Amino acid sequence: MSFKIARSEGILLAIIAAYCAAVAVINPAFLNIDTLFDLIRTSSRDLILVMGLLLIMLSGGIDISFMAMALVGSYCATWLMMKIGWQSAAVLIPCAMLISTIMGLCNACLVSWLKLPAFIITLGTMNLFHGLMATLVGTRTFGGGILPPSFSAFGSATLFEIEGEYGAVGLTVSIIPVIIVVVLTWFIIYKTMLGRGIVAIGNDENSAIRLGFKPLYLRLFAYGYIGALAGLAGSIYICQVNAVYPDKMIGEELMVVAGAVIGGTSISGGKGKIFGAILGVIIIYLLKSTLIFLGLSASWNNFFVGIILVLSLSFTAWQEKVRNDRHLLFKVESR
Amino acid sequence: MEEYAATQLRAEPHKGDPQGLPLMVEAIDITKTFGDFKALDNINLMFKGGEIHCLAGENGSGKSTLVKVISGIYTPDKGTIVVNGRNYSSITPVQSMHEGIQVIYQDLSLFEHMSVAENIAIGKLRETNQRLVNWPQIYEIAAEQLSRIGVNLDLRQELREASISTKQLTAICRALAMDAKVLFMDEPTTALTSREVDRLLAVMSELKKSGLAIIFISHKLDEVFRISDVVTVFRDGRKIGDFPSRDLNQRRLSYYMTGREISYPKYQRTSPDEPSFIELKDLCKKGMYENISLKLRKGDITGCIGLLGSGRTELALSLFGLNRPDSGQILIDGKEVSISSPTTAMDHGIALLPEDRAVQGLFLERSIAVNTTAAVIKQLCSSILGFFDFKKERSAAVDSIKRLKIKTTSEDKLSGELSGGNQQKVVLAKWLLTKPRLFIMDNPTVGIDIGSKSEIYEIAQQLAHQGMAILLLSDELEELTSNCNRIAVFYHGRIIKLLEEDELKDPHTAVFINAAIASGDIAKAQAAAKAARAGAAVQTSAAKEGK
Ligand SMILES: Nc1ncnc2c1ncn2[C@@H]1O[C@H](COP(=O)(O)OP(=O)(O)OP(=O)(O)O)[C@@H](O)[C@H]1O
Ligand SMILES: [Mg+2]
Repeated sequence: MSFKIARSEGILLAIIAAYCAAVAVINPAFLNIDTLFDLIRTSSRDLILVMGLLLIMLSGGIDISFMAMALVGSYCATWLMMKIGWQSAAVLIPCAMLISTIMGLCNACLVSWLKLPAFIITLGTMNLFHGLMATLVGTRTFGGGILPPSFSAFGSATLFEIEGEYGAVGLTVSIIPVIIVVVLTWFIIYKTMLGRGIVAIGNDENSAIRLGFKPLYLRLFAYGYIGALAGLAGSIYICQVNAVYPDKMIGEELMVVAGAVIGGTSISGGKGKIFGAILGVIIIYLLKSTLIFLGLSASWNNFFVGIILVLSLSFTAWQEKVRNDRHLLFKVESR
Repeated sequence: MEEYAATQLRAEPHKGDPQGLPLMVEAIDITKTFGDFKALDNINLMFKGGEIHCLAGENGSGKSTLVKVISGIYTPDKGTIVVNGRNYSSITPVQSMHEGIQVIYQDLSLFEHMSVAENIAIGKLRETNQRLVNWPQIYEIAAEQLSRIGVNLDLRQELREASISTKQLTAICRALAMDAKVLFMDEPTTALTSREVDRLLAVMSELKKSGLAIIFISHKLDEVFRISDVVTVFRDGRKIGDFPSRDLNQRRLSYYMTGREISYPKYQRTSPDEPSFIELKDLCKKGMYENISLKLRKGDITGCIGLLGSGRTELALSLFGLNRPDSGQILIDGKEVSISSPTTAMDHGIALLPEDRAVQGLFLERSIAVNTTAAVIKQLCSSILGFFDFKKERSAAVDSIKRLKIKTTSEDKLSGELSGGNQQKVVLAKWLLTKPRLFIMDNPTVGIDIGSKSEIYEIAQQLAHQGMAILLLSDELEELTSNCNRIAVFYHGRIIKLLEEDELKDPHTAVFINAAIASGDIAKAQAAAKAARAGAAVQTSAAKEGK
């Protein structure tokens, strides 16, 4: 597998470069190491999540309950720790990952057994998980004062610091889990039969079954994997904001889905690239963070993301059409 | 056991095989029903290594069902499958794969977003239970299998960019990589051009030499005779018999398949000789066709013949609004029209039966009734209130089933449960109901059995007698010469010759056409036809002298 930048990723990179240049012209303060470090810090949660989502979409499915899993996993883990009294971020992460993985496995079973569209099922479980948490565990907010100090210590820790214009800025440690997850996901997709099997069922489930692949196991893995990543991402997030709210994160899942789609991941399954998905998320965070530099209010964010999403979908559709025209393939629609 | 021996004697006329070929798979008393319908009725069959075994029979006679039973997709109600000396009363797909049984399905079962190499190797990697993927190994496996069948493909090409022929070879290589000993090929040649068919048949005989048992299904009888050693004939789920192919000829084989003599009706135009209602003037599309001028009258069945890339399919799509011409005019009833979409084409009374079954827009999950009437929904609404009239839908569907002899238990059966050829008939029925003025048929009888073919020809000719104009694109010369009153010969995007009614009466036009589509040289083709005529004259005179 040689590392080659495909055309669509090249286009994304060009867009990012052009956009950065434009923002820098309007507001030179943008060109600062500060901006970059901040971007990495804030986007690390979604960069982790999009890796799980990529695997799910490669399998031909979709999961929109991952933010709910991230919230429920990290919330319940925190609550448990407060109860028991072990107070360390090092316990929080595995604990949250375990809880979210269980939720992910539930999703996999439901998707395999009910044979309904994964979108509908995960829409349901998203509310189910959240509702269960609210009724069984509670809806208390854990503020910075109550949370163990190790949370915020982890959330604000840096690998190294650079003396910038506005004081010292540092690169967040959460880049390490991000890199690990990206490499792991790459390894799973390209270097294991498990990953190839997931891609195979996303391409054509029946053909994969004929070759002896077992969709149930592959789905259990894929949905479990995004569950585990959700636990990790949720934990990183609560450490970064140093507070645990019972209703945050939920509602932000579509931005991650948009990131994956902008990055060229196919909604119908079987096709998607790691680098593309990363770029997709980066673009979204870039837009979000540059609004201030452009002097626009935060409500413009959705508008911009929407535009990019529509553009990228049109681009894919157009590419598809060009390809079909070349092969003289036409869908004959009946009236 | 005794009963088994008896059926064997009855069913295996070529059992005392002097060549002593090894027995690979044996099916004993296989019965398979779908509901009350018996798709296979007590089938006994043997497949031997080093032999190409052809399954022949009409659409819906159970050929594909047998393949699916042996490969484990369907469980038989009764019977035994013996593979490598082991008896299975039912076999799972995985078991069957482990026993070396491989199937090239009609849909090929490949992964569109993977490379050719990975498509070839993935089956083997899965079968050997590998955990990790070693990409150099994948390319090695793929290259090895390709060299085995003696072809070259671009291993890194993404499969969806590849041609049908490449996909087919990929599927074969995948099967070989998984150590196939018995290879089933269910209608592998339907989507191939004649040169690609040649290549495929060459690959098949190569594999046969290496000891594989190959089971081949095709409705093109000339292919059957070119390649097969044994032919088993099916009719209505029963086996009629096994015949060494050297003892058969086309007429006998089609008699065994259908139980009657098949002859193609010859079309004679009877419509009054009024001026044409559709006229193409200097139609051009860069890289596809140029300067196409053609007049179509009511009752004309105009044949179009030419190799792949000769421009005829591209022209047909243009007439149906799917491939805008760059310049030139289309006149309907003397007025220039612009056909920008299939909807406008249908408004002008033009219908198209496209070649590729996969994109024909059959809703496999819906009933036959829904599918046959899908293009005429408006006409089925009751005139006053605009409600949908289910009774009309039903009766239209029942009529179509009768008319095209679609083999089904009822009009409510799902289209996906029909045999391949019968699905094709449903599509044909759908377009016929629109009562077009011009019906463009692109290879309408691909995958249709020889009996139904002659019925479809009869229907087409009857419609032409009633005034419909038909543009018939076909690769089968016989189909064209018996149905068409004119034939346009395409070469490199041009109509190099339009043969009119009296020219078609000459028995040596076939020679002319074959030479013309291959070389594009009219003079050469005429010379070839002349030589054939002279040769025939010499023969007849010699025969006379001999007497
Ligand atoms: N899954 C199914 N459910 C119900 N009926 C079926 C199913 N599969 C096949 N049949 C019926 O069994 C019969 C045999 O079908 P089969 O596909 O074996 O025919 P075939 O000989 O392959 O025909 P063709 O030449 O058209 O491909 C058909 O009448 C078909 O309608
Ligand atoms: Mg069939």
